[in-house]
Amino acid sequence: MNVIETSKLTKYYGEARGIIDVDLVVEEGELYGFIGPNGAGKSTTIRILLSLIYPTSGSAKIFGKDVVEYGAEIKQDIGYLPSEVFYYENMKVKDLLNYSASFYKKDCSKRILELVEIMDLDTSKRIEDLSYGNKKKVGIVQGLLHEPKLIILDEPTGGLDPLIQQKFFNLLKEENKKGVTILLSSHVLSEVQRLCNRVAIIKEGRIVNVEKMSDLASSNYSRFRLETKNPIDKSIFVLDGVSGLKIENNSVSFMYKGDINTVIKIIASIDLLNLWVEEPDLEDIFLHYYE
Amino acid sequence: MNIILRELKAHRRSLIGWSVGMFFLILVGMVKYQGFASSGQSANDLFKGLPTLAALFGVQSVDISTAIGFYSVLFLYILVMVSIHASLLGADIISKEEQDKTAEFLFAKPVTRRQAITSKLQAALINVVILNLVTLVSSVVIVGAYNKGASVTGDILLMMVGMFFIQLIFLSIGTAAAALSKRPKLAAPVATSIMLITFFLSLWLDITKKYSGLKYLTPFKYFEAKTIINNGSYDPVFYALSLGIIVVMLIATYRFYSVRDLSV
Repeated sequence: MNVIETSKLTKYYGEARGIIDVDLVVEEGELYGFIGPNGAGKSTTIRILLSLIYPTSGSAKIFGKDVVEYGAEIKQDIGYLPSEVFYYENMKVKDLLNYSASFYKKDCSKRILELVEIMDLDTSKRIEDLSYGNKKKVGIVQGLLHEPKLIILDEPTGGLDPLIQQKFFNLLKEENKKGVTILLSSHVLSEVQRLCNRVAIIKEGRIVNVEKMSDLASSNYSRFRLETKNPIDKSIFVLDGVSGLKIENNSVSFMYKGDINTVIKIIASIDLLNLWVEEPDLEDIFLHYYE
Repeated sequence: MNIILRELKAHRRSLIGWSVGMFFLILVGMVKYQGFASSGQSANDLFKGLPTLAALFGVQSVDISTAIGFYSVLFLYILVMVSIHASLLGADIISKEEQDKTAEFLFAKPVTRRQAITSKLQAALINVVILNLVTLVSSVVIVGAYNKGASVTGDILLMMVGMFFIQLIFLSIGTAAAALSKRPKLAAPVATSIMLITFFLSLWLDITKKYSGLKYLTPFKYFEAKTIINNGSYDPVFYALSLGIIVVMLIATYRFYSVRDLSV
């Protein structure tokens, strides 16, 4: 079953482009990544799915039901964590969580306790006294407390320290094992790589590609940066799989795709001061992979 | 139900503030009456000589040497106060979710825009009724203490009925402004501007005593205290007109808020 299905989903804000002809299909039980640079249309898509805003044309269905017509009904089973969390100030954490739970037709009190425990949250504090990271934790608990069948996360990890991020991702994986579908939007590739099975790549409002994470990883680029003792000859790096080669004085950088041993052997023959092999950032992906 | 309780809690402090303010407005106003009462008829004569001033203070065709006559002058300012309260409340209760960016939280919950508006309107109605009752009780007790003739409780009760309609008119104008405006910050200024424009229009109509047809444009002319004191009841046309405005504004509130993008 398709949990999310959009068809030619388009949104303009007046003249300004939001998204254009977005076709997105997320199947039940998937951990689906939604990746693209800031302003590409990730939040716009998500806000339409939640009927916070309405599409200019096209349609979106969740659980097989139109999001505009059946918005409130389908939201019984959606958990949402926005990129920036804002809550009613002068409300205590536990009041906010109880208020959040009061919208659902089930008793969430047990799950709240579990999640608060996992996220290590002090529920007696006032929201306005919380740090950004702690507010985000409230957001996580608030989004998961009703045991939703679909979890939508918009840039969820900003402000979370690595430890909590790990806990949070484990929590998501556990939910996913129970059959929960997850849509995770992000501009950080590694985040999506860690978690997702499939990924849609959005650029300037359009979906440019949908990939299995394993395919994306196997055809992955690495970014090499070298610092050498002596100036080196450009020809040494002329081989298949190298792109974007830049040599300035004693520093070399390029993108590489292919058998890693080949390039390592070449590098081994050079007198190095330093070497970095990094995951390409999104910009590199777009530059080298989608053009 | 949860949204109603949430809104009641959120507006509790503000309502207490307005109620205390209202009590003191009436108290201080009527204490001034003492000074006026001792000067007796001379105050009436003074205003007769200065019709514009009389109009500004709403002192026309009533005897301000009586407690209820004096109160009717005060009543204009009570109306202004509850109108500001209702305009701000209406604008705020709808637009606040967007202003504080909590709309993204609220409307990711299984709640329709209509349900949210209904709950918010109910909470606002409760606030408006409470302020009305506080005004009623304060007025009956304080004016009653200065009153020497026949009981004025009936008159005050009728004034409060009129006031309630005015409250509902400005409340619904406030909610409609918030529902229409894509920029939530504009809702309160728009609503209070409409309220002030209609107030000054009613003052101007009192001063010029011309263009009486324009009285239909300003709710402040619908339910005037002097009508109650002199006639004992309001013109039913104004009830109908008020009801019409309220219904149109509520329809606008529901319709526009349901179909527009939230500013998140």
